[in-house]
Amino acid sequence: MSDIALFLPETVCLLGALVLFCAQVFGARYGVVWGLALLSGVAAVVASVWTWPLAGEPFFPGVYRVDFFSQFVKAIIAGGFLFVAAISGRPQTVRSDAWAEMPMFLLLATTGMMMLTSAMELVTLYISMELAAYPIYIAVALHRSRSIGGESSTKYMLQGMVASAITLYGLSFLFGLSGSTYLGTISSQLGTLATQPLFWLVVLLVLAGFLFKLAAFPFHFWAPDTYQTAPHEVVTFVATASKVAAIAVLCRVVALVAPAGVDAAMASRVLMWMSVAAMTLGNLAALRQGDLKRLLGYSAVAHAGYVLIGIQTMTGAGLTAALFYALGYAAMSALCFLVVVEIGRDEDLVSIESLAGLHQRAPLLAATLLIGLFGLIGLPPTVGFIGKWFLFSAAIEQGQFVFVLVAAINSAVALYYYLLVIRQAYFAEGTSDEPIHTGVVTLAVAGGTTGFVIAMGVVPGWFWARSVEAVAALMG
Amino acid sequence: MQLLSEILLCPVGALVLVLLIPARAVQAIRWVCALSALMAGVLSVQLWRTYDAAAGGFQFVEIIPWVEEVGISYHLAVDGFSTILVMLTSIVFFTGVLTMWDLEIRVKEFFAFMLLLVTGVYGVFLSQDLFFFFLFYEVAVVPMYPLILIWGSGNREYAAMKLVLFLLAGSALLFPALLAIYHASGLGTFNMILLAQKAFDPDFQIFVYPFVFLGFGVLAGLFPFHGWSPTGHVAAPSAVSMLHAGVLMKLGAYGILAVGIRLLPVGAVYWAPTFATLAAIGVVYGAFVAIRQTDFKFVIGFSSVSHMGIVVLGLNLAVLGKAGQDALNGAVFQMFAHGIMTALFFSTVGFIYDRAHSKTIADFGGLGSQMPRAVSVFIVAGLCGAGVPGLASFWAELLVFLAALKTYPALGVVIIVGLVLTAIYVIRVFSQAFFGPVNDKWDDLRGLDLKGWQILPRAILVAVLVYFGFFPSALLDVIDGTTSTVLTSFR
Repeated sequence: MSDIALFLPETVCLLGALVLFCAQVFGARYGVVWGLALLSGVAAVVASVWTWPLAGEPFFPGVYRVDFFSQFVKAIIAGGFLFVAAISGRPQTVRSDAWAEMPMFLLLATTGMMMLTSAMELVTLYISMELAAYPIYIAVALHRSRSIGGESSTKYMLQGMVASAITLYGLSFLFGLSGSTYLGTISSQLGTLATQPLFWLVVLLVLAGFLFKLAAFPFHFWAPDTYQTAPHEVVTFVATASKVAAIAVLCRVVALVAPAGVDAAMASRVLMWMSVAAMTLGNLAALRQGDLKRLLGYSAVAHAGYVLIGIQTMTGAGLTAALFYALGYAAMSALCFLVVVEIGRDEDLVSIESLAGLHQRAPLLAATLLIGLFGLIGLPPTVGFIGKWFLFSAAIEQGQFVFVLVAAINSAVALYYYLLVIRQAYFAEGTSDEPIHTGVVTLAVAGGTTGFVIAMGVVPGWFWARSVEAVAALMG
Repeated sequence: MQLLSEILLCPVGALVLVLLIPARAVQAIRWVCALSALMAGVLSVQLWRTYDAAAGGFQFVEIIPWVEEVGISYHLAVDGFSTILVMLTSIVFFTGVLTMWDLEIRVKEFFAFMLLLVTGVYGVFLSQDLFFFFLFYEVAVVPMYPLILIWGSGNREYAAMKLVLFLLAGSALLFPALLAIYHASGLGTFNMILLAQKAFDPDFQIFVYPFVFLGFGVLAGLFPFHGWSPTGHVAAPSAVSMLHAGVLMKLGAYGILAVGIRLLPVGAVYWAPTFATLAAIGVVYGAFVAIRQTDFKFVIGFSSVSHMGIVVLGLNLAVLGKAGQDALNGAVFQMFAHGIMTALFFSTVGFIYDRAHSKTIADFGGLGSQMPRAVSVFIVAGLCGAGVPGLASFWAELLVFLAALKTYPALGVVIIVGLVLTAIYVIRVFSQAFFGPVNDKWDDLRGLDLKGWQILPRAILVAVLVYFGFFPSALLDVIDGTTSTVLTSFR
């Protein structure tokens, strides 16, 4: 019984996926499927939150760890799915005969991501990672235009598989070095392992797959392409839940291989340079984009760089900041994509120009976008500001003044392209005055998420305390 | 709730109300803003009257822990400096709302952004927690972008983007610097009062101080990082220019004072000669460039660079010891006087521009006979800018000049050259635009001069300038006690 309870969120997701599968086999109307997807999302969030006080290792000892960290992250991932489900009332960029399948694939991916955050054994880790990846490859291909979907999915999948192959290669070395596939056992041998440079090289290889999901340099090439061309709803999922899962597992691995007292300077240094490269490259490339989703893709690369600031410190404060930022980032980019979904109903591609006149056509959507972009820029009162504050603070604590200066200058550069988007939405005159009709559910979700982004920025205490608790469970 | 929170609540509450009022209820929105500004004004005057200048130091302290794990708290308190700067903000806020009373385009959004800006400004002046200080600083800067972009004129897109990029580049310098101060203190708190008591390692101070100084200095219009300021002034709508030049630039100078000089005294002394030189260049350079401008607003924009140079110069002279008391008193007094003066300038130029749709100085000829009231008001501001006795700036500039002459005689001479140049550009504007040959083109404006309630905001500003011109001690007494406290680290 207790094992079942510990595995409840994943079970709920799997059952949900099964129900969605049946519904689609029996040809249920999309309205019904949508309702079921929403229900599964709510159930998954509730189940994850319900398991917060639980801790343990279900089924086989040492393979799968349930602690506050994993369950906290699962709740965020489930929240990401629920968000995507809620805005998918009419996923018009998805092929109409595949509408019912999209939520199912996303729910399966959610299951994989949840398992990823708990996996403590190399094979489980790898399988979870693939379970989180494949359904998304397929969902991306469900675009209503076969050529766009095919291209998008192929690019995403090929690069994803290369990254996961690198991870697998790294995992095999890890097994070779330590003689065990259990992360617990490996971490108990750190005393001898950590002195070998090869070990740190291997750790970086292992991280490749997760850095790919995070769209961090040098595994970021898919992000702009896939963001631009994948169905809007699917990208929303990739940009939110998937990012949180990647950050969580990076935190997990870093916490295991670099607990206090282990000299991880080499890996840390490499991650720092990756961070600098990601944010600089992402921001500079984003300056010249005309497509909103592509711009958000490059912005995701830049944000991967910001998150790595916290992770490369390899300290509790840094991981806490990364986790806190992951939660905030998911909500901020969710807001931006909500607007993309709404204004991009009839378009395969959403250009920045098409935002013109948005403040007249849909004032609420314009405000949603404003808050989302303010968050990404890092302006108060959104979580973007305090999130960066925590990340930078963790790095300054390690004496990385110049690094933080580079990151801060990067944020100033990023301001330019975000402001151009805001300018278009709030200032440019549109060609049509026709109001954009937005469903009640979407508006409620927009309002709720906006409130969340501001609440996290204005009263961060509760969220920060939870992040601290989660990382304590992780490091403990 | 205590006094300082009440002041902060005025714009915040008004912001919430404005967001709730439907956009077409324009009149209601204006009244909400005006009343909140009035209320903030009354509370600020109450603060000024009740602040115990004899006791000095921080008063009206409010602390609520915010994120305890990292030592962030909602911590408000005022010293003599912030007391008068809060009053300055309230005056400019109130007169700004009145100046924009006739605005008809996207009124709700305009006032919402303006209230956000004012919230940020109050927040900076009231906060004694480094985190909130920086947070409010960013809150104050960002609304400038939409305010200039949507309601501005001329080259507004360029100006708006330039301004925000410059200012947030300044923040980029501040970000690591403020966090470094926090971590170097080892106190685990962002409480600026406690941080000020900590003696940081001299090498650390010398390293970090330039980041703080330049980061805030950008907003103070410090030469050579002033480029955003004149273009921003010119493109912004009147009330935004008023707030921008009147109050926002003071945030930069106040930041240098509250974070740089207070927390990093050794660094401040080390860098003072360099930065004093930059500031002095700014004083002369701004005045020189102002002479050659053909656009009203550019003249005022560059005069702001010049006048803010005096403030920054005063701050740097203050730490050098020889005439510290005069220098710092003068710098803070100048913040106040210049704030009121530029608000008056922009309020009036905006008024003339809205009627004439021209800002070209030579175009006007003899506007003095066509719009006598508006021109008189402008002349008061101009005389104040030139440092004429009887108006508030006189005392401020005098104090800084004396300090400059005592500390670095050569620098003092340079500054006096700046003063002469100021007189030149002010008189040039008077003669070319107001007292030249009457241009028939503007005869239509005769009936459009300031009248009725339009006089009110300008009258308030003139009255303040004159009052403190004749009774400088009403301000200096409040400032002086705090100056002595701050300067104890430098004796």
